Amino acid sequence: MRIPSRVTLIGAGFVAAALAVVAKAVDVQLVHGREWRQRAREEQTVRVEIPAPRGTLRDRNGVALAVSQQTYGVGVAPPEVSDRGRAAALLARAVGRPVGDVARILASARVWYAWPGPFTWEQVAPLQSLRGVYLQRRLDRFYPRPDLAPGLIGRVDDAGHGATGLERALDSVLTGRPGSAVMLRDRSGHLYPSPSRPALQPVPGEDVYLTLDAELEEIAQHALTMAVDSTRASGGDVVILQPMTGEILALASVRRDGTAGAGLGDVFEPGSTAKVFTAAALLRNHLATADDTVFAEHGHYVLNGRAIDDVEPSGTLTLADVIRVSSNIGITKFAMRLTPVEQYEALRDFGFGTPTGVELAGESPGTLRNPRLWSGESQASLAMGYEIAVTPLQLAAAYGALADGGVLLEPTLVSEVRASDGAVAWRARVRPVRRVVSPGIAAQLTHMLQGVVEEGTGRRAALGTYPVAGKTGTARRTVDGRYVPGHYTASFVGIFPADDPQLVLVVKLDDPKTDYFGGSTAAPVVRTILEAALATPGVDLNRERLVRHTLPDTAPARTAAPAAGAAAATVVPWPVPAGAARAGAPAGVPVPDVAGLSLRAAARALHRSGFEVRIEGWGRATGTTPAAGAPAEPGAVVVLHAGGGGRGAG
Amino acid sequence: MSPARERWMGWEARLMGIITAILVVFGLVSVYAASSALLVDGHPVGTSLALQQAGGAAVGGILLIVAWRLDLKRLQPLAWPLILVTIGLLVILLLPFTHAIAPRLNGSRRWLRLGVSFQISEFAKLAVVIWTAMLCAKKGKDLTHLSKGLIPVLTVVGPIMLLVLAEPDLSTAVVIGFLAMLVLFAAGARVGHFILLGLVALPIAWEEVAHVQYRLLRMTAFLDPGADRLAGGYQINQSLIGLGGGGLFGVGFGQGQQKLGFLPYPYSDFIFATIGEEWGFVGVVALVLLYTAWVLLALRLARSATEPFLQYLGAGLAAMIGVDAFLHMGVGLALVPTTGLVLPFISFGRSALIVALAATGALMNLGTRRRQLGR
Repeated sequence: MRIPSRVTLIGAGFVAAALAVVAKAVDVQLVHGREWRQRAREEQTVRVEIPAPRGTLRDRNGVALAVSQQTYGVGVAPPEVSDRGRAAALLARAVGRPVGDVARILASARVWYAWPGPFTWEQVAPLQSLRGVYLQRRLDRFYPRPDLAPGLIGRVDDAGHGATGLERALDSVLTGRPGSAVMLRDRSGHLYPSPSRPALQPVPGEDVYLTLDAELEEIAQHALTMAVDSTRASGGDVVILQPMTGEILALASVRRDGTAGAGLGDVFEPGSTAKVFTAAALLRNHLATADDTVFAEHGHYVLNGRAIDDVEPSGTLTLADVIRVSSNIGITKFAMRLTPVEQYEALRDFGFGTPTGVELAGESPGTLRNPRLWSGESQASLAMGYEIAVTPLQLAAAYGALADGGVLLEPTLVSEVRASDGAVAWRARVRPVRRVVSPGIAAQLTHMLQGVVEEGTGRRAALGTYPVAGKTGTARRTVDGRYVPGHYTASFVGIFPADDPQLVLVVKLDDPKTDYFGGSTAAPVVRTILEAALATPGVDLNRERLVRHTLPDTAPARTAAPAAGAAAATVVPWPVPAGAARAGAPAGVPVPDVAGLSLRAAARALHRSGFEVRIEGWGRATGTTPAAGAPAEPGAVVVLHAGGGGRGAG
Repeated sequence: MSPARERWMGWEARLMGIITAILVVFGLVSVYAASSALLVDGHPVGTSLALQQAGGAAVGGILLIVAWRLDLKRLQPLAWPLILVTIGLLVILLLPFTHAIAPRLNGSRRWLRLGVSFQISEFAKLAVVIWTAMLCAKKGKDLTHLSKGLIPVLTVVGPIMLLVLAEPDLSTAVVIGFLAMLVLFAAGARVGHFILLGLVALPIAWEEVAHVQYRLLRMTAFLDPGADRLAGGYQINQSLIGLGGGGLFGVGFGQGQQKLGFLPYPYSDFIFATIGEEWGFVGVVALVLLYTAWVLLALRLARSATEPFLQYLGAGLAAMIGVDAFLHMGVGLALVPTTGLVLPFISFGRSALIVALAATGALMNLGTRRRQLGR
């Protein structure tokens, strides 16, 4: 039979095929198995970096200023889309485009179309299952309040690293440590976590709590912008500092040309705001007291051939008056009592000529030349705030030293660093730099500065409610190294409240065109900021402590800008502190002995005992009606007599 | 059936039934394992393909019993109507206005959709085997003449091959031709005829293969699988990575990675690679043994048949399963060019499964003796 043999041949053929398959399987699976396994691992697995989210930047109250968020872009490869109708509907909803537009894109011959987004996961999650639709995951940096101090907060670059401002300065803290994982990869690039190969978890960046107060920052920024606009200044800066901690609450900068950074690199000649440091030098070297007098030459004085003029001509002035009326002649004459070294050391001790050490990069040290390089005019210039260049922050820190009882603190922008789990990794401590003046001298100087706001050049910074201390500054500006008439830097440094400072405020306006006096341009900005801050519950002020220092609730001096004498007869009602009312016996409270105290201290002592005060006269307190020791009802009007000394309002 | 009839099934038929059952069950499990993690149109496959395949297995099981109990000699007069209906259906697939019932899927028109889908070329294999067996039985000794054997077969099978080729489905067309030749060979046609045919057909086949670039790439990729990993060699490479990665004992059932999108059609055209990855060399050898045993049993049953038509039919059916099985495995191991062939009983594909089970039933029929009681 032929047939069986043919069938047997066919069977033999199949057996041969089976042997060939087995032989090849031996080769592939056993002999070269290891190589193929290696190839398999290479192709099927991929080591991916798991990006670590960047830490959040928050203000002192926890308000988020810069947040990292995972976002998605949506890409579509129209040729790969299988169900166009469904895809168009889902895509349209996800990316917020009309269905018709999306359908047109899907029907087109385009190879790729992308909606960059950013979209949230909730928006794009329905797209996951669509063939031909690809989600591109990104970690984006969001600035919930993008207009809030963008120059100070800074921004990140495309790679997610800090490029400017605090984002850059704090980059190493904010940046987390990326993790890595071995992922299984299928052909279309989808990744699946490998159960057998553990992933190194990313460590998120740490959250930074800034000392900034977002509310105050916004207030400052707004007030500054308004002031720059209304005075047609070329720019301006505001620094608000907490004197007892050195914490910077607000740092605003406006430049008309739009180049505003954090405002730490630009220096200016402070002018009269620096006079107080000369006064400090005199006091700490026991070369003068607040009551020492000089003759102010009635407004015009020539020293070594250099003409020095006062805006308001005066006769004899005490050192306190010199500060109050900002007399150039007076401070120059006082400065002559100092040696150059004494003057230099005082300025240096207040931190001028040295970077403050704040966390931001690009801080300028300012300019304070060594006395060996001084000319014959330098002492007079420095006394008036020239030949010295400072940053607004340096000025704020130096005034902070006065407000903080004489100790210069290193200003800081970072109050706390927290790990992503909330554990505090680092907390700012008060960093004293040095004691500049004694607490007594600091109090005296602050007192002088209070006079500036109450009766002197800074009256427009005064609040009706709380005492404010401060100093005006109006400095001529140089253009190409020469002082040019008509160009000024107007500034005001305020201390609030004057007798128990919680804030130091520096406002500086560059080259205002309407009015160039610091007292009329910068001082109102301080008042605006303070009024807004007091009206905003979110601003971090110790209101309990504030209550103890309210001013009499009268028509404030600022509105009428009255002569100092007008204030003398004012009856100043004072809200009775609750504690005092309770403590006070119904029979009455003895009137304290205030004879010999300054008018202000006397009034304060009387206020503290719960009396309303009517002032008669000016100068030092001589007595009261009722007399000291006599009982009086709380809330009763006590007449405070003052006089003698002959130093009326300057 | 009539109680007057008694059936006695030989051990070959019983063993074949057992092997087939093992393969079908293993196939269902493998289809599930290879497909469940995939997404089709964005939806996870899950059990859907495995359940569809189980439905096919049920239908195939019924057909197996029908074919087992059928008097196979009745197929002989049905051979011509069967082949004509097949040609008609193949033509319908290609008509320009029949897209509604013959859609283009993955670039070719192979399926007729009438509520359920039929892959006509799978039925064409069966029809060609039956028809060629019928023709060979009719011609008998005349097959030694070229004009009585090879040429009439080519006259009918050639157009069928061209129709399948036009779908396009090169590999099935080649398999159909090969099956017809095997039946002819089993029936005793001259070896010289096949040599002549080979000399004529090879250049044509090469031309056909070469003029479509993707086919060329697949044709040449097996010569050097590592050459171009992104073009033609890609599929073979992924298959080899899967098989090679399996090693001796495999990565474990369900643990294969290649099916996760690296392998095209891991549940059908490349299910062997999926199985080889998960079950390793041990699984591959077991599979080869099962198919070899099945084919040898089928050939033994064919040889034992009482009539030439049944002998040729049996040989053709044995070859139908064996050629697909070993070509599929050869593709997975880069022994032959990459073609889209299913692994009988195992790969997803209900038409192929039904046809394979019907063929199994027919072969078991050959191993079953019928006796009229009282004779």
